[in-house]
Amino acid sequence: MSFLSNRYFQLLLRLVIGGLFVYASLSKVFNQEEFAKAIYNYKLLPGELVNILAIVLPYIEFFAGIFLIFGIFKKGSSFLIGAMLIVFIIALTRAYVLGLDISCGCFSLETVSEKSDISQRIIEDILMLIGCILIYFNSDKKKLSINNN
Amino acid sequence: MIRTIKESIIIISISVVAGLTANAISPKGVPLIGDYSDRLQVDSTTAAGQVKQERQKTKEGFIKPVNIPVDAAKKYFDDGALFIDGREPSEFAQGHIKGAINISYKEFKDLPPEKKSEIMKDIPKNRAIVSYCGGGECEISIDNAYEFAKIGYENVNIYLGGLLEWQSKSYPLNN
Repeated sequence: MSFLSNRYFQLLLRLVIGGLFVYASLSKVFNQEEFAKAIYNYKLLPGELVNILAIVLPYIEFFAGIFLIFGIFKKGSSFLIGAMLIVFIIALTRAYVLGLDISCGCFSLETVSEKSDISQRIIEDILMLIGCILIYFNSDKKKLSINNN
Repeated sequence: MIRTIKESIIIISISVVAGLTANAISPKGVPLIGDYSDRLQVDSTTAAGQVKQERQKTKEGFIKPVNIPVDAAKKYFDDGALFIDGREPSEFAQGHIKGAINISYKEFKDLPPEKKSEIMKDIPKNRAIVSYCGGGECEISIDNAYEFAKIGYENVNIYLGGLLEWQSKSYPLNN
């Protein structure tokens, strides 16, 4: 399993996950109105909290993604991305089970997502979550490898 | 763990500042506390007559659409209101409320206002409109209704129960 902590593999994980988060945030950072609607439609949050989340969440995605790519604050960014992924997985699974006819609000802000899209997103999110866990637990490997050498 | 918390707080703080700033300058910015009261399901026991309430004008200057329950929708239907189905053409083709026309929200929402008015030019601004979609948890009926209200329609109603509820009542359909 040592390849999991191989630094090139770790770099690849960071580039892919960070890149996807930055990409996903771009359609939302200046479209608070549509993203707020997408969040509202999940019916998970009281209306009063929807807008503030729509305002801040895309920026957490963006900055956590940027930091992850550049390897700054690796623990914090992988932790936050992991936490967001857990919330997304729960929200998507719930929407899937209830058959909510909604916009996913994942990458773009399309009005209606097919059910198959939602299940595909859930799988992607689970894979990214695994990646995040690998990054998180390898982010202080340096000290260990120095000791090992 | 302390490092994780510290770094997370830094990232969140940067995001809060950036988010609030962007929201303040974005043309699509939203108020910090949202008002989603008109997205609540209407009480289906409300008497049909009660929806003929005073229609409110919004700050933006259009007349706010009103949520209506199924019996009010049926009354509008009997009175000859125009039903507008907001789903995609393929879904519309599979069946819709009798006499309804199809204006797919997905295609309609991003058009410029002149184009929207052009599409709806044959519909008088004071005609009663009932916007609906699939029903259940479908909300494009609301979004579409606001699109119509924003281009000047004065009597727009949202029938959230939608096709699903309409079918369950065995009301008239086109299949």
